[in-house]
Amino acid sequence: MAAAVLNGVTNGIASSSKIDSYLADESRFASIDKVLDRRGPWTVEEFVGGEGTKDFLRKQSKVLVIGAGGLGCEILQNLALTGFNDIHVIDMDTIDISNLNRQFLFRESDVGKSKAIVAAEFVMNRVPGVKVTPYHGKIQDHPTTFYQQFNIVVAGLDSISARRWINATLVQMAEEDEEQLKPLIDGGTEGFKGQARVILPTVTSCYECSIDMLTPPTAFPICTIANTPRLPEHCIEWASVLEWPKVHKEKKLDTDDPDHIEWLYQQASARAAQFKIEGVTWALTQGVVKNIIPAIASTNAIIAASCCNEALKIATAAAPYLNNYMMYVGNESVYTYTFEHEKRPECPVCGGESLIAEAKRDWTLERFIESLINRQDLQISKPSLSYSRGALFWPSPPDVYTATRPNLEKPLVDLLGEDEGIVVTDPALPVSVNISIKYV
Amino acid sequence: MPSSDSSEEASRPTKITKMDDSLDITSATTGTTEIPSYRPDAKTRRYDRQLRLWASAGQRSLESARVLLVGCDATGCQALKNLVLPGISHFTILSPNLTTSQDVATNFFLHPDSVGLPIAEQSVKYLKELNPAVEGFAKTEDPSSLLVTDRDFFTSFTLIIASNIQPSLELQLADLLWQTSASVGGPDIPLIAIRNSGFVGRVEIQLREHSVVDTHPDTTHTLRLDAPFAALEQHARSLDLATMDSMEHSHIPWVVLLVRAASIWRESHNGRLPESSEEKAEFKETLKKDKVKGDEENYEEALAQAYRVWGKSELPWEIQQLLNDDSVKNISANSKNLHILLHTLTQYVSAAPHLPPTSPSLPDMHSSTTSYVHLQNLYKNEYQSDLKRFKVLLSETLQKVGLEEGTVPDEEIEGFVKNVGGVGIIKGTPLIDSKMGQGLIVEAITNYQYDEYDGSSTCFAMHLAFLAAERFYASHKRWPGAKAMVNVAEDTSEVEEILKGVFGGKEVEDIFIECVAEVTRGGFGTLPTTAAFLGGVVAQEAIKLVTNQYSPLDNTVIVDLIKSQSAKFKF
Repeated sequence: MAAAVLNGVTNGIASSSKIDSYLADESRFASIDKVLDRRGPWTVEEFVGGEGTKDFLRKQSKVLVIGAGGLGCEILQNLALTGFNDIHVIDMDTIDISNLNRQFLFRESDVGKSKAIVAAEFVMNRVPGVKVTPYHGKIQDHPTTFYQQFNIVVAGLDSISARRWINATLVQMAEEDEEQLKPLIDGGTEGFKGQARVILPTVTSCYECSIDMLTPPTAFPICTIANTPRLPEHCIEWASVLEWPKVHKEKKLDTDDPDHIEWLYQQASARAAQFKIEGVTWALTQGVVKNIIPAIASTNAIIAASCCNEALKIATAAAPYLNNYMMYVGNESVYTYTFEHEKRPECPVCGGESLIAEAKRDWTLERFIESLINRQDLQISKPSLSYSRGALFWPSPPDVYTATRPNLEKPLVDLLGEDEGIVVTDPALPVSVNISIKYV
Repeated sequence: MPSSDSSEEASRPTKITKMDDSLDITSATTGTTEIPSYRPDAKTRRYDRQLRLWASAGQRSLESARVLLVGCDATGCQALKNLVLPGISHFTILSPNLTTSQDVATNFFLHPDSVGLPIAEQSVKYLKELNPAVEGFAKTEDPSSLLVTDRDFFTSFTLIIASNIQPSLELQLADLLWQTSASVGGPDIPLIAIRNSGFVGRVEIQLREHSVVDTHPDTTHTLRLDAPFAALEQHARSLDLATMDSMEHSHIPWVVLLVRAASIWRESHNGRLPESSEEKAEFKETLKKDKVKGDEENYEEALAQAYRVWGKSELPWEIQQLLNDDSVKNISANSKNLHILLHTLTQYVSAAPHLPPTSPSLPDMHSSTTSYVHLQNLYKNEYQSDLKRFKVLLSETLQKVGLEEGTVPDEEIEGFVKNVGGVGIIKGTPLIDSKMGQGLIVEAITNYQYDEYDGSSTCFAMHLAFLAAERFYASHKRWPGAKAMVNVAEDTSEVEEILKGVFGGKEVEDIFIECVAEVTRGGFGTLPTTAAFLGGVVAQEAIKLVTNQYSPLDNTVIVDLIKSQSAKFKF
């Protein structure tokens, strides 16, 4: 009653004064100060230690976190506790119930809200004194000048195209002005496995240099899907790739809409029954059409911790930073592999040399384009090709498509000479790629 | 999470993550007019991304797990966070301490408001917010006295995590759990012990015996190409390639092509399969001759898979080893289900054809729908009849040891029979061995050689530096390097001397001196990043232990976040 009310009031007062006295207490950093005050046997030359180091970490540095999801929540927690004080976070997504098994800054009541905004508020409440600035939106919507204000960029993304974009942007910034070299720390996870890496744009290998390390996607030939389905996945692909556009015309498939998934599930089930194929489930349907990758808190914790540990080492020089790649594999006991991934001279983003594409003399242009799409080191799906005489083949806009489509059937040798250069662009490519043809 | 998801919508990658909990193909019914909807409920949606790893069986185990954290620090709470989120049943934090501002600064599951209040209660409060389905308790008694007065308290848990507690307490706890796990059929409670200082951390797992029911192996079974069951061979031989049209010919599954070719080969080679490399090449040439067109994909697949014909369908070596284990040979009413199943497997393979049960799964291959479905049914039928035979033997086994029919649930039997190669038993060692420098660590110390290109040699030296620091603690009741700057050099040289004692007082390689310096530099303080890293490792291992899926660490891993590397050891 009265006592409870009084208690509440005093608690409120106690709380704010408790925060003030906590913030005034510099000894709270005693644990972390040990490695910032003391030099270790592997500490790098540039290490100053003491107040200068702490001052840079706690007062001057500015970090950008890309992604406020599974890795992002962990990254924000770690950076805030480590002493980074001016943290910015970008994410375009809103919170979904399936995030709650790992994105621990969110609660059920947050479903539907902006990840970046909720995460920033949570961290500022839990770790008083830290400033987290959220941006609800796309990384591509910010100009280069936006990225110039940060000392370090930490990325916890599950999208390859976003990674390619930020990587290319930071490499380009460093190429134009050495002063604008911003370390990019990138993390990624899948199930019990993950990797953390440090990219010094233009200096070390970049994200694009290692694009061929991505597991090739399991692509089902359209004829299998249309004519000879064998797996439940084939029936699901049939429903989403062929049936949906046929039945729903202009209405786009929204893989986040349970009613859409339900429709696909019903269609796929019916087709499976017709072909006596077993195993179509709701969960499999959702997994196939959304390309769901298993994700758990513990793996995100390991990889985000590794990323933030590198950020701490870069900001303080308390220990040498990772050069430049660490893999963690937890399926079978505990295994890590740390190595230096090397720059690729023909990397479209940071390499200088042009890519060589081999072609057979009897190939049509269409066959050549297919060979480009199949290249692991390009990872493209809808390329536009140009050559010295203009557009060679562009899938859009419609008028250029109509004008260049006849080229697809033509023999490649009639269009391009030996060593002739072409320029390839693609929605997935952050830059255009110069390719020279070599006939074999 | 991604900031540019929408740009990918147009070219959605078609990478497929195989679902573990997809409707079981052997029990699925097809052709039903009414299609049931399995639209997931709220709980399934919440856990969707993890169910795709350990499926509903793993989730059930997780949801009955009771975890105790002894010592309430940042590392321990990070580990708990990663266990509360996926939904364990219950956790208790045991610590008599009051919260300090240093605790708050490293532990996300505390707030400045917590300062001065019981730390276990405060962290429980903040951890419970993560998942309303999980129960959390704080116990503010002194662990040492509780170990004397209430041992049953500790043995009521599924798994215990000890985070940076005093070395002597850690050993007492390890001893209690080792002794408790001694009796067959008694509780087998793993202990996960954490130690960290600055950039360096260590996780040790003590388990007496641990069963893995599904290691999730990458390799699939042999498909019985070398020893086809009757129905499979009959089907393969019944095809009349000569009269087929080219469409049909190019859609015969490669499994059928290989079984057929192998069967014909055996007839003309006294029942033998290709052995020498000449014979293998000849086998492939013969297969190629059957092609009617140059680009028949099914033949190309068959040629690429031909090596499976000379692979052996017999029981994998690791599983044979398990069958020879005393605990599998001599079972009783107290034996674990896995041991009873393995015992039954011994009986099963002792009868002709001396092969493990057939798995019902079939990989995708170039084929027409009907040929594929027909082939799949052959494997499923064979699996069903193998399962039946296995169940008969199992009933006999159960009867022999005086257990009721149904002691091993059907689901477990089926899982085992489908995936015989994916089980394992791990036998651990007591934690005290490594701490006292006895057992397996002796050899590691004797044979030690530093190699600057081998991270594990640095990690091993870190482990010894930790051991030496723990002995320092025993005599000083404080950690080396924990106090002000001035003591560091003194502490370091004392820990060095202790470490040299491990080598019989001899001079040691520089790496040991460096590792001691790094460990005392950290002063056994917690870096939030090291805590988060170790918390992730501990939770992964706890999940593997609790679900009996995937292979857990046995038994020590050193994490060196200076060089961003790790190494594991069995001591």
